[in-house]
Amino acid sequence: MPVGLLIARRVLLVVPLLAAILLFTFLLVRIGGQDPVGLLAGPTATQAEIEMIRSQLALDQPIWVQFGVYFGRVLQGDLGSSWLSNRPVLTDLLERAPATFELMFWGVLIGAGIGIPLGLRAAFRPDGPFDQTTRFLSLLGFSIPTYWLGLVMLFVFFFLLEWTPPGMGRLSLFLEPPPFVTGSYLIDGLLAAQWEVASSALSQLVLPVLCVAIISAAPIIKQTRAIALEVLSSDYIRYARAQGLPQGEVRRMALRNSATPVVTFVGTEITGLVGTTALIEYVFAWGGMGQYGLSAIIQNDFAAIQGYVLVLALFSVLVFLAVDIFVMLTEPRAGARA
Amino acid sequence: MSGAALPAARRGALPWWLRRVVGVSRRSPTLAIGAAILICFAVLAVIAPWIVPHDPVAANPRNVLASPGGAHLMGTDGNGMDVFSRVLAGAGWAFGIAIPAVLVGIAVGVPLGLYTGYKGGWADEIIMRVFDALRVFPSIILALAVVAAAGPSLFNVVLVIGLLDSPVFARVVRAEVLALRNSTFVESAIAAGNPTWRILFVHILPNAIQGAMAQSAVRAAWAVRISATLAFLGVGIQAPTPEWGAMIRQGAEYLVTGQWWVGIFPGIALILMVLGLNMLGDGLQDLLDPRRKAASK
Repeated sequence: MPVGLLIARRVLLVVPLLAAILLFTFLLVRIGGQDPVGLLAGPTATQAEIEMIRSQLALDQPIWVQFGVYFGRVLQGDLGSSWLSNRPVLTDLLERAPATFELMFWGVLIGAGIGIPLGLRAAFRPDGPFDQTTRFLSLLGFSIPTYWLGLVMLFVFFFLLEWTPPGMGRLSLFLEPPPFVTGSYLIDGLLAAQWEVASSALSQLVLPVLCVAIISAAPIIKQTRAIALEVLSSDYIRYARAQGLPQGEVRRMALRNSATPVVTFVGTEITGLVGTTALIEYVFAWGGMGQYGLSAIIQNDFAAIQGYVLVLALFSVLVFLAVDIFVMLTEPRAGARA
Repeated sequence: MSGAALPAARRGALPWWLRRVVGVSRRSPTLAIGAAILICFAVLAVIAPWIVPHDPVAANPRNVLASPGGAHLMGTDGNGMDVFSRVLAGAGWAFGIAIPAVLVGIAVGVPLGLYTGYKGGWADEIIMRVFDALRVFPSIILALAVVAAAGPSLFNVVLVIGLLDSPVFARVVRAEVLALRNSTFVESAIAAGNPTWRILFVHILPNAIQGAMAQSAVRAAWAVRISATLAFLGVGIQAPTPEWGAMIRQGAEYLVTGQWWVGIFPGIALILMVLGLNMLGDGLQDLLDPRRKAASK
């Protein structure tokens, strides 16, 4: 099958998945057996608001009609309204998305920058001292509670050393955000030549990004090592060695063949980091989607919870799709097998 | 891996079980360290009520935020409760949530894996598709949202963590069953006229459970983390309870004013227990999975 057709088929597979995701978020507000109207309207709702939501949800109809109504509303971009902010959930989420992406982007970039070289180096000499050390560090990274790491960072670098500003958002309170270009305050500040804004954004970014990087490096180390080990024990590498190719040459070969699976893994890893990022946002009062979602969970703002979970799932679907297409384009064999 | 062997004479003097321990430790130090950490925590959790120097939930308004040392090894928290006693008592809470949660995961996941792997067909297809679909939800957020929706009682926390774990167990067992389904011993069990449940649970299960056992330690680590995260966010277990996540939540407000001991010590205990479970799981996977063992050689 040509690659184009494979990609088209893969994209089509997203449709049933989307339906399943919507079914899940639809059921989410109903699993507790409580009145979904009460959950979505919140404790501050007036009788008129409750009646409005009740008619919007079509609760007097059978449950599959209710699902149809929910499905239709989501397709029109209506995720309901948060009773906390009194605004449409989608507006709230979109407004906060750049903050989350800025944090995740730098976090994953640095995490991969640390994790991939460590994993490769560990694989070159399995069970050696370097491998044992990185294996332990990676297990440690798997075991540190994200929020605790954030708190300790704040304690050490803000309270003790006074190197960083307090963990209160993305920018000093006295500065205005730069004009919107990419959504990253750091990059936008540089683009607008507002050096003060850029340096404030950078100093606010350092700690949370470091936390995300440390947490994300752990699985990247482990997986890169496993991938590189598999490549290194393959027949063509043994053949290259038997031919007497120099060590450096062999390793370069192994590197090239590890690249696709490693990139694939880092890609899928991003979806797993959403929870980590949310907790870091919560600790550093980052003001992104994650903090919004966690606050919603804490304060039982169910329209916001439902919308947040839905947006995260859609994000994962897009990432998985992009990763699969990347694999199909770089390794046609893998695509043909799928 | 070949360490310096013990002299034969000394080795023979050891009782058989200790020789096994030494053997396993040499093959997988990771597993041995992880197991040692967990045994320490298990012992502490059991004897905690008798060895804690203070009542873990006794407030003392006249001794608030005392720094570590003296009568309070790890200081006191904002209510004047002894942090050391609370950290010790927290081990019981961590085990008390993780063990039942993993048992729920096994109780639901293993039969599902056995059945879908053995029968195949549309039921298998549907269940596996549902599990695939669940993967698009980030696990922490999914657990938090479902607990919030189901009502944040302790019972629901355990149930939700367990249910979200069950796909992992189902997948591992299903893969083993697929490999065993057409083997001679299963065919002869069928030919002998055994009912399906007997083939599944008596003949296949003992041969398919290894992978699930290795997973259970990793899943327990996840359960400890998630339940602590819930408590840290204030969903479910609430403040005076000596649970590590709840204690870190309390400590968070004091970290930026310098009373670090309230939040740091429970965090260290939490890390150690999760690390122990992860090391145990990692070691078990190495020992049980011949493919991984071969790859690390």
